[in-house]
Amino acid sequence: MSRYDTNVILYRLKKDPAFRDRFRSDPSTALAGTDLTEEERQAFMRWDVPRLNELGGMLHLLLSIPGLGH
Amino acid sequence: MGRIVYAAAMSHVLYPDYYGENVGPHGRKMVEELIEVVRDMGRTLAATAPDALVVVADDHLNVFSFDAVPALCVRVGRSVSRMVQDDAIEFDRALDGLPERYPVHEGLANAILEQGLQAGFDFAASWSAPLDHAFLSPVSTLYGDRPVPPLVPFWVNCFVAPQPTAQRCFAAGRHIARVVADGPWKVAVIATGGLSHFPELSLARVGQSDPVFDRRAVTLMEAGDHAALAALTAKELHDTGSHELLNWLVLLGAVSPARARVRFFGEMGRIDLAALEWDVA
Repeated sequence: MSRYDTNVILYRLKKDPAFRDRFRSDPSTALAGTDLTEEERQAFMRWDVPRLNELGGMLHLLLSIPGLGH
Repeated sequence: MGRIVYAAAMSHVLYPDYYGENVGPHGRKMVEELIEVVRDMGRTLAATAPDALVVVADDHLNVFSFDAVPALCVRVGRSVSRMVQDDAIEFDRALDGLPERYPVHEGLANAILEQGLQAGFDFAASWSAPLDHAFLSPVSTLYGDRPVPPLVPFWVNCFVAPQPTAQRCFAAGRHIARVVADGPWKVAVIATGGLSHFPELSLARVGQSDPVFDRRAVTLMEAGDHAALAALTAKELHDTGSHELLNWLVLLGAVSPARARVRFFGEMGRIDLAALEWDVA
C-alpha cells in the first residue's frame, strides 16, 4: 500500500520548487526510485488529479500545488 | 484562579476573493457579511483583555509532513511565525501582509502540554510549526489593528485518517478548561473551520455541502447537547465534509455546559459558513 508514498510526493510537489520543476520537465526521472504502484505512477505521469485523489492522494494537497492545475 | 473569558468558533477562510472566484457573487457577499460579524465579535473579545488566546485549528497539509502527523499538538516556545510559502494558494497568499511573528503564551502552552501528559493525553509538542490561514485568518479578522495577545496554537488532525475521535477532542477541551481553572490567567478560546465542505475529501464532490447536517450541529450547540456532538462518528464527519468540526469539539469541551449563540449562519453551496459565541462569563 503506497498511499504514504503518493502523499509524500504530493507534499514535495507543493513544498519543494526544485522537485516540482524536475517533475514538470521530466516526470519519469523525478519519480524514479519512488515506491509507487504502476497505476499510481501512471496517474502521476498523466497528472490525472481525479485518479490520484481516488488512489488516496489528499484533496488539500491536490488543490494546492502551485502551477499544477486540477 | 483562572477562567475562560471569551469563547467562539468560526469558519476560517475569510477571503471574499476566494469565494468570489470559486462560488460567485453570492459567495463573496456571504463571506463579507461573515467578516463583519467576526470583526464585531473581535471587539467583544478584545474588551475581555485576555492574557492568552487559545486557537484550535487544523493543518491543511501545510505544516506537518507525512513524516509524522500528530493527532493533537500543542505549540510551545516563545513565539510562532506566520507560514511563508512561495506560490501559496490564494487564502494562504493573503497572509502576506500580516505580522511575521506572534508571541506564544509559554506558561499556558506548557501547562496544557505537561498537565496533559500527566493526565493521559499524549499530546505532541512543536517548537517550530508555523501558522497558516486556519489560525491567522480568524485572528487577524478578530483583532484588526489591535495587538494580538499571546497565542496558544493547538492543532487537531482533521484530515489525515485516522483522526482523533470527536469524543477525544471534547475530552481535550475539558482538559484545557481544567488547566485554565487551575491557573492564574484570563483565557480566550476560539476554534476555527467548517462548516461542511469537501465531503469524503473527494475531488468529485468539491462544491457540495450538507446544510441539513450543519443545521443539526448548530442547533445542538445552541441547546448545549454536547453529548450528541461528541458522539459523532468519523464516518459521519467524513461523509458530510465536517472534518473541521473536530476543532469545534475541543472548544465545546472547554466551555461545556455553556450554550452557543449563533452570530452568523449561511448556506453557500460549496461550504456553509458560521460564527458562534458561547456565554462563558
